[in-house]
Amino acid sequence: MDEKKATTRNVSSRRKLTELLDPQFMARLDSLDVLSRKILQGKLQGERRSKRRGQSVEFADHRPYVAGDDLRFVDWNIYGRLNQLFLKLFLEEQDLTVHIVLDDSASMNDDRTISNKKTNSTSATQITKSGFAKRLAAALGYVSLVNNNRVTLSSFSHEITGQLAHMRGRNYLPQMAEFLLRETPQESPLSPDDPDILLAGFDGICRQLSAGRTGTGIMIIISDFFFKQGYQSGLRRLIGGKYDIYTIQVLSLAELEPEFTGDLKLVDIEDSDTAEITISTALLKYYKRTLNSYCNELKDFCTSRGGVYVLARSNDSIESLVLKYLLKIGLLR
Amino acid sequence: MEWLTPFNALIAGAIAIPLLLLMYFLKLKRHEQMVSSTLLWQRAIQDLQVNAPFQKIRRNLLLLIQLLMVILLLLALAGPTASLTSGPGRRYILLIDRSASMGATDIAAKSRLEEAKKQAITFVQSLRDQAAFSLHDTSDQAMVIAFNQHGKVQCNFTSDKRQIISAIKSIEPGGSSSSLGEAMMITRAFAQSLGVDDNNRDPQNLVHLILFSDGQIRDLDQIDVGANELTFHSLGQSGKNTAVTSLKASRSYENPDEVNVFATVSNYDTQTATCDVQFSVNNNVHAVKSVTIPARIVDKSSAEIQPGKAAVNFSLSLAETGVVEVRQLQNDSLKVDDAAWTILPPPQRLTVLLVTVGNVILESALRACPLAELKTCTPVQFNNMDHSRLTIEKTYDVIVLDKFIPDQLPRSRYLIFGSVPNGIDVSVSAIVKNQIVVDWQASHPVLKYVNLSNIVAAQSNKLSLPRDAEVLAEFNETPALALLRRKGSVFLLAGFDILQSNWPFEPGFVLFCYNATNFLGTQTGIGPQSDLLAGQPIHLEGLSPGTVVKIDGPHFSDRTIKANPSGALHFPDTDQVGIYTLKIPDETPKVFAVNLLDDKESNIEPRKEIALLGRQIKAADKSMTRSNLPLWPYFVVVALILTCIEWMIYNSKTRL
Repeated sequence: MDEKKATTRNVSSRRKLTELLDPQFMARLDSLDVLSRKILQGKLQGERRSKRRGQSVEFADHRPYVAGDDLRFVDWNIYGRLNQLFLKLFLEEQDLTVHIVLDDSASMNDDRTISNKKTNSTSATQITKSGFAKRLAAALGYVSLVNNNRVTLSSFSHEITGQLAHMRGRNYLPQMAEFLLRETPQESPLSPDDPDILLAGFDGICRQLSAGRTGTGIMIIISDFFFKQGYQSGLRRLIGGKYDIYTIQVLSLAELEPEFTGDLKLVDIEDSDTAEITISTALLKYYKRTLNSYCNELKDFCTSRGGVYVLARSNDSIESLVLKYLLKIGLLR
Repeated sequence: MEWLTPFNALIAGAIAIPLLLLMYFLKLKRHEQMVSSTLLWQRAIQDLQVNAPFQKIRRNLLLLIQLLMVILLLLALAGPTASLTSGPGRRYILLIDRSASMGATDIAAKSRLEEAKKQAITFVQSLRDQAAFSLHDTSDQAMVIAFNQHGKVQCNFTSDKRQIISAIKSIEPGGSSSSLGEAMMITRAFAQSLGVDDNNRDPQNLVHLILFSDGQIRDLDQIDVGANELTFHSLGQSGKNTAVTSLKASRSYENPDEVNVFATVSNYDTQTATCDVQFSVNNNVHAVKSVTIPARIVDKSSAEIQPGKAAVNFSLSLAETGVVEVRQLQNDSLKVDDAAWTILPPPQRLTVLLVTVGNVILESALRACPLAELKTCTPVQFNNMDHSRLTIEKTYDVIVLDKFIPDQLPRSRYLIFGSVPNGIDVSVSAIVKNQIVVDWQASHPVLKYVNLSNIVAAQSNKLSLPRDAEVLAEFNETPALALLRRKGSVFLLAGFDILQSNWPFEPGFVLFCYNATNFLGTQTGIGPQSDLLAGQPIHLEGLSPGTVVKIDGPHFSDRTIKANPSGALHFPDTDQVGIYTLKIPDETPKVFAVNLLDDKESNIEPRKEIALLGRQIKAADKSMTRSNLPLWPYFVVVALILTCIEWMIYNSKTRL
């Protein structure tokens, strides 16, 4: 009976994962692994090469024998040829922490139906930034979990809205899917008098994430980075530590190529701030220029501090992004 | 302040104000659009506002349209006018012919006068207006004079187009002939200041005359105009016309009940015409005759048109008064000359009183006249009569005084031989002897068929007559016969004793007595001249001073007029042909017939050239068209259209 329940639960969980990732896509993800640009030392024996030379099966280098070295590592082939003693050096394998930080705020949930005829996605026709981000997070989480990496998944809005920490192995895939597919309540911003104000906003969130981060690993932040308080102070807390920081900025077609006309009163979905505009060619030009400038500033900020910046469109293909672009930039291998 | 075109402003306001309100209200409405973040939009707006004052004027369609709009409105305010003339405003006098021939309906079924008024109005609309925001009066001025036999100022010089057009529209057709002389006198009087003639005047300030007529004006050869002073616009298309050009009805001398009517019908067409002529009495048709009228003849030397003529006569027996009408029934373009009327007096026999001490010859002559009654009395008996009763009852149509000056003169008609009554402004300065008649008015009804050439008077009173007396015959030293009117009475004076002349032995004496009694008894007072030409005034005498008379005419009724202190009544408004009836209190109505009966006026052949004094003026080639066209309404309309286009572009969903 319990086995039946477990089987049922597994089946329903698998079904939830397939809502995010196509089974064929998952099959292709099985062959991938997350790669750290700096080979890091993990806490457990994982399938990760560390730059630290230690005991492993993979030959890395030779050094002359010194009295007291372990004779088991003497390279007798070289002794036979050169009549000199050299020791083999091996790469030490380490495990990797992957922290995926997902922006789940209202700005990611623009629920406008976008028909994208170019995408190869077979998922639901409603492709929002949030949906795209969740699918991307699911793909990265899947790759990390199937390769026995330590995965932490956090979501945030005005503050951290949820976290799945220290997941390892395939068994956590359903949990991850459930976490990603859950309905996150949209909370209004905290007032300045709220005692938790320091923990709110992107800066506060990054403060919390930085404080909870241990060891080293990879941190992937998936967001649109439209923070009115700015992203700089928050990213500074995360970049420069012992984590590889990947900032993936997700923008929708409506943000990249707005199709507004006439006199409009724009209302911010998060804070209900308004902007009265009269659409004109000049204004659209200035908007695009501002958008490009903003994205370039973010890119420069990240790359100048050793991070990696990726711009993704919500109508782009997840498969192309993951299987091609992320491989290319070295996040996956 | 005067609003020249209030309706234009109302129409423009009716369009512009709702549009403006619509734009205002629509402009306020902003569609709410939810976006993921206003962060970048706010930055974009700030950048746009910062750079706006310093950016170059970019290609902006809306701005361009608004600029065009403003320019057009400013141009409209400048009062643009398409004009063929320049310089200060000019003055024009419009001379519009309203004679009988202008009533011909040969221009698209409307009369020549209507066409003349239409062309005149078109010209007036082309006059330059006062320029907006100008301190100098550069507007054109015009004056309107309508003429037939007489000229009448319809409107004095003014630049008010509405007033001028209203004056033109008020011109009524007249039934009389046309004469330009009086109109030109008025023109000269109004167009020139005292002491300044055309030679010294700046050509720009000369008044320009514009004549709208068919050219059938009888006194053109007496009109003098300067070079290029007059522009002639010829009206009319055809000269085809059939007219009654003469009419006479009379009673037989022997049998007054028998009436003979003689009429002449003229044909102005190039071909022989056959038409029916209808004869009516008191609106009852008595006879219709078919008449063939030969075609017109053009005099080769003078190029004058001589109409073909045919005579027609009718006879009937009528023992009462009546209105005789002769009408030609052929349909032509001029109706005013298709009929003629005459008033047939009743077969009246007069009652005559002869006051004499004894004059067998005179009495015999009077008895030879077909009088109803001839009474004789002595001067003493006459003086003893109740003269007031004589005046009121008009017992006698004519009173003949033979060498007698009565104490009182009742109001009547007098034939006086050899004496001059007192109080009639005639004096006798001397007695002249051996007088022979040297001249007489043979055409006067009193002297018709009377030969005075052999009359000799042994002596005669030398008469000093007032200015208004009419001398019918002259002796060598004094008037022999004179006619004058005083105090409601008519006096036919013979200043000599007939017994002291050879006149009674002349056969014409009896005829003179008949003519005199008939004239005095029927044509003055009781029977005034009842057949008149169009424009000839109705004159009636013998009324009580101040008597109010009502007149019915062809196109009006119950118009009142009052007799003057001398008991005479003068009604000049007889432009229209037809029957005029004067209703006198306590008397039988007097009927008058007004006819055209004018050969020249019935000649409606339009002239393409008129011959003035020493100058030929050709008709203008083209009919009057508007030469000054104010353009500002078009500018405003285009500006309004641009406003609508700008609004459409502004709200268009198509990004430009």
